[in-house]
Amino acid sequence: METVSSGDTLTASAYPPLALRFSGRGSEYFGIWIVNLLLTILTLGIYSAWAKVRRIRYFYRHTELANSSFDFHGSPIRILIGRLVALAMLLVYNYTVRVRSPWILLVLLVFAVVLPWLLRNSFRFRLYNTSWRNTRFHFRGSVGGAYRVFLLNGFLTLITLYLLAPFTHQRFKAYQHNNSWFGRARFSFHASAGRFYLIYLILLAAIVGFGVVIGLGGLGSTFTALGQVQRSGGHVDPRAMIRSLLLVYGALLLFGIVIGPLFHALITNLIWSNTRLENHRIECRISPWMLMWIGASNFVLVVLTVGLFTPWAAVRMTKYQAECIRLLPTSDLQEFVAAEPERVGAVGEEAASAFDFDIAL
Amino acid sequence: MVSATYFDGRSTRVHDVELSVVGQDLVVAGTGIDLRVPIAQVRIDERLGRAARRLRLPDGTCCEVRDLEALDGLLSSTAHRDGWVDRMQRHWRSVLLALVAFGVVAVGMYKWGLPWAAAVGARRLPPVFASIISTQALKTLDGGLLRKSRIAIARQRSLVAKFDGLQIPENGTPHSLLLFRASPQLGANAFTLPDGTIVLLDDLTTSIGDDSHILAVLAHELGHAHEHHGLQLLLRSSAVGAFLTFYLGDISQLLAAAPAALIQARYSQEFEQQADDYAAALLNKHGLSPGLLADDLSRLSKLRPDASGGGYLESHPPTDRRIRHLRELARTDAFRRHS
Repeated sequence: METVSSGDTLTASAYPPLALRFSGRGSEYFGIWIVNLLLTILTLGIYSAWAKVRRIRYFYRHTELANSSFDFHGSPIRILIGRLVALAMLLVYNYTVRVRSPWILLVLLVFAVVLPWLLRNSFRFRLYNTSWRNTRFHFRGSVGGAYRVFLLNGFLTLITLYLLAPFTHQRFKAYQHNNSWFGRARFSFHASAGRFYLIYLILLAAIVGFGVVIGLGGLGSTFTALGQVQRSGGHVDPRAMIRSLLLVYGALLLFGIVIGPLFHALITNLIWSNTRLENHRIECRISPWMLMWIGASNFVLVVLTVGLFTPWAAVRMTKYQAECIRLLPTSDLQEFVAAEPERVGAVGEEAASAFDFDIAL
Repeated sequence: MVSATYFDGRSTRVHDVELSVVGQDLVVAGTGIDLRVPIAQVRIDERLGRAARRLRLPDGTCCEVRDLEALDGLLSSTAHRDGWVDRMQRHWRSVLLALVAFGVVAVGMYKWGLPWAAAVGARRLPPVFASIISTQALKTLDGGLLRKSRIAIARQRSLVAKFDGLQIPENGTPHSLLLFRASPQLGANAFTLPDGTIVLLDDLTTSIGDDSHILAVLAHELGHAHEHHGLQLLLRSSAVGAFLTFYLGDISQLLAAAPAALIQARYSQEFEQQADDYAAALLNKHGLSPGLLADDLSRLSKLRPDASGGGYLESHPPTDRRIRHLRELARTDAFRRHS
């Protein structure tokens, strides 16, 4: 997808490209996955925070660059707190929206003020807790920057009926990547908004073509109406229900198997191939076709095995995507310096403050 | 001696070192590096697959070891023991045991734990919750599947009066409202919203027979209202949905949605039986025969041949079985009434 000035400059370079290597195996991950599931169900979900840490660690520690693996240092307790806060916010939001309470404006206002700040803190949590060669990553985006990206650009996107969505996506990635650090080395982002628009146009064309073929609109509304009755405890002829369910499901499935991976591959390639760490370039070449194939075959195998194939599927997907990423180094990667100890201490303390939790549910 | 890579935490420079254990101390030795730390102060990463393990020293530096067997040998002479989760997830015997245990616990929770929790939850939830959902649902339905009823107002009034007479005040159960609607798609049908409001569709009102037959259907719906079936179903399917998202979420949100619908259909079978039993008792109290509901069912199964028949996907238990059960109740009740 992305054409980094490969060829002569690279072959002339003393430092060959370094691909990420992923050495995880489905059979190993199965043990971790099933023990995670068992303990989570036995603790009615509380263990899921610990399960998440084990899962992330398994994937990070099996991902290697230049013979050194990544590591994750997040604390399960903080993740648990993050989940509880997210759950509480979700409940408050759902409640006020459903009741159409006069408080809704206040709640929305509080959300608008709090969410950008929470998202920024969640980036910080994730990066600060990621390390390579005992050196941590950092996210130093300002709160003001988060408000600009999430509130201002988000608002502009809404009032322009999503015409600005690709632009907002670009601003968001620029905020995220331009403020990321590895030790004292800074990442930078170079993809223009124009290139985001190009990919969104491809997405739009694919969706329109797809929508015309399937005629999803009419089908979708019958389905929601039927679902509504069923959920309210009414009796609907179950066969009609299942027929429309299968149709909608089939349409969604095709969508998820074809258009999802296409967009994901194009946008991921664009984003990572235009991200640099100081003057080390990154190159990402995920093939949409491979992604579709892995996604579709994973889907079939997971269904056939009643879910038991899940760990193999997750490993396959991660391995393929990770190994599509290469670093084009301009050094032997030995010179990265960790942020100053006192600086780390300060960041560490901040990171440990009660609000620096992981918000991903 | 175990070879390792040492990182001082100040830069990404790679230092090759050798690890050894002397007494209860870990010794790290390499060019310009000579450290000796009590093993109790070293944080040793758990084993995860074949990933390199890190030994974290108290000063923030760390050693990465790739040769896991050699490291185990080195640690075996120390007081270090792997954690139980760590051991559990890497021995095939305990993994197999975890798989079986997970299956047993999941099935047990689905069969007993969840129905129990949903029943308790549905009773305990503040009534405002059910009324919010019901208002919302009715609004959506009125905008889509439902039309205005064509039943004359006078007839509606008389049915409402009879319906109100049917209801017996019970602790905790709100008085149910009766609404009239029409729906070409849903045909001869009636349903209950989570707050107990019952919606009676025109096709059923006109085709089911006399008022006592309509009352029998309403008694069945009152059973759903009394047992909070709508809320129970909602709670059960949310829990099943959350679980499936967790179980399959690694792979596909979409995949997690499908089984939820099938599971829901299975669950509601027992609710129909409960509502039938409730209706039979209620009709009996009012001197009406449960046989009325049996008549209704057989008429409905003729009106909607598509909806009868058995099978896993059926939201109602095989109609024949329900009819037989109700006729049996009618016989014993009649016997009781006469003796």
